[in-house]
Amino acid sequence: MLDVKEIDVYYGHAKVLHDVSLSVNQGEMTFVIGRNGAGKTTLLKTICGVRAPGKGSITYDGQEIAGVPAEKVARRGIRMVAQDKRVFGSLTVRGNIELAAYAANESVSKSVDKVVSLYPKLKDLLHLKASSLSGGQREILLIGRALVGEPKLLLIDEPTEGLAVVVIEDIFRILGEMKSRVSAVIVEQNLSIVSRLADRVFIMKEGKIEKTISEKAEIANTRELERYL
Amino acid sequence: MSVSIEIPDKPGGAPALGGVIQSMGRDRTLLEMAIMTAVFLALWPVIGQHRVTDFMVFCILVLSFDLLYGYMGRLSFGHVLYYGTGGYMFSVFINYATPNPLLGMVVGIVAAMVVAMAVGLIVSRADGAPFSLTNLAFNQIGVFCALSAFAEWTKGDNGLPSTKMQPVWFLDFLQKPVNFWFSLFWLLLVFYFLKRLTRSPYGLLVRSIKEDESRVRFLGYNTFFYKWLTYVISCTLAGLAGVLITLNYTFVSPHAMDPNSNLDIIFASLLGGAGNLYGAIVGGILYQLIKNFLPMWVSDWEAFLGIVLLILVFNFRKGVTGFVVDRLAGRNAASMQPRGGEAR
Repeated sequence: MLDVKEIDVYYGHAKVLHDVSLSVNQGEMTFVIGRNGAGKTTLLKTICGVRAPGKGSITYDGQEIAGVPAEKVARRGIRMVAQDKRVFGSLTVRGNIELAAYAANESVSKSVDKVVSLYPKLKDLLHLKASSLSGGQREILLIGRALVGEPKLLLIDEPTEGLAVVVIEDIFRILGEMKSRVSAVIVEQNLSIVSRLADRVFIMKEGKIEKTISEKAEIANTRELERYL
Repeated sequence: MSVSIEIPDKPGGAPALGGVIQSMGRDRTLLEMAIMTAVFLALWPVIGQHRVTDFMVFCILVLSFDLLYGYMGRLSFGHVLYYGTGGYMFSVFINYATPNPLLGMVVGIVAAMVVAMAVGLIVSRADGAPFSLTNLAFNQIGVFCALSAFAEWTKGDNGLPSTKMQPVWFLDFLQKPVNFWFSLFWLLLVFYFLKRLTRSPYGLLVRSIKEDESRVRFLGYNTFFYKWLTYVISCTLAGLAGVLITLNYTFVSPHAMDPNSNLDIIFASLLGGAGNLYGAIVGGILYQLIKNFLPMWVSDWEAFLGIVLLILVFNFRKGVTGFVVDRLAGRNAASMQPRGGEAR
């Protein structure tokens, strides 16, 4: 489904990704872990079209998407949920969902139902300004909004970062429910979540994919994974 | 009163202008338009009909600017380019083509729109200071065209009268009351159009671009197109204001696109409250009242305006309208609180 081949990415003259290759299969939930500065966020930004690789190719459903603008990548079914948990704060929660619904040619009521089904508490918050939501609620809204219109691949950057344990469990549940419906590349440091949900784990270090883990037993071994953080 | 976004629960489809039509009706717009009419009619005997017409046209200009700045967050230092373009093309048409003012009006508005379509392709790629300054640069080019490059038609510094225009049906624009009612009609129409537009899915998108353009792109929207479209709509309305002011004065001069005049619009928008159509009207009227009457009593009235601007920027970010709305909201919230602290 997604095939990233030997990409190099630069910030100015600084090379931040070196010969990075990875692939994601249909229905697969993959995680990217690694220390700060390893290039995880840059990798997601490059896949979703915010940055263009200096070298290499990114093919999605057989089509080259390297350097394609973010909006066109999104229309092909790849949705990005960025790390900073920024919603459209001046709009209502419902307004945020509607905006995604119009872009995805999906009925507003269907989209709202879809997001509310992920997290029923949102139903009572639909009329509120999105800026009034907590960090966890914002992340759930962002993930829900990204699911509007049946995307095929989600790119989620640090969904549980800075959130309370209770909310992390909610997000774990949502990601679990999502697993059967959509492929994903998730940057995550919470190894408990990684070990329970990952089909494959890519370990990044200094702008390179250092290791790929596919064995279930190895993925479940959080102590081993911890060595890479 | 603040403009709230009401989005219809419509089936799929991009936030096209068609959504505007769906959001029509079921609100207080007609009442608000009646109040606006009453306010301008009340001002007529106090400050004179000609001046009230000026005020109304200025309000159209501020409304057009508010769509660009208040709603989409793009501060233009060159908005009067389109105001002047509308006025000049109207006058040129009247003088060199046919004296039909309605045809001239169409030409003036279309000319502003065409210039905006072309300039918008360049300026819509920028935001922040580059957007403001690129617009200023195009504004200066416009002044150069009016003063020198096309002086044969525009008469340069002397300006171009449009007194040759002939009445069309009952519309004799050399009669001041006709200009008053005509400008009022257009002000109400522009207000109504912008209210529908800003409440539609398209308005929702424009406000989201102001907040975080990259996130809007992540949803699949071509934000460049929507920024360009909003620029064109805004500037076309500025062109309409330029035509109306030229009808009122039967004259246009390079002063109409003087880059300093951009400050008048920005000031009025901030004074009333940006991102709020009521704010644009209130700001437009207040600014014109200050500009027209303060110099009678205060010689250095511009210094007063500067001080007011500082106060606005530091203490009243939402302008007069936002301040009043916040105060009313605070009072309502206070009245909802249970009174007294006694335990029963």
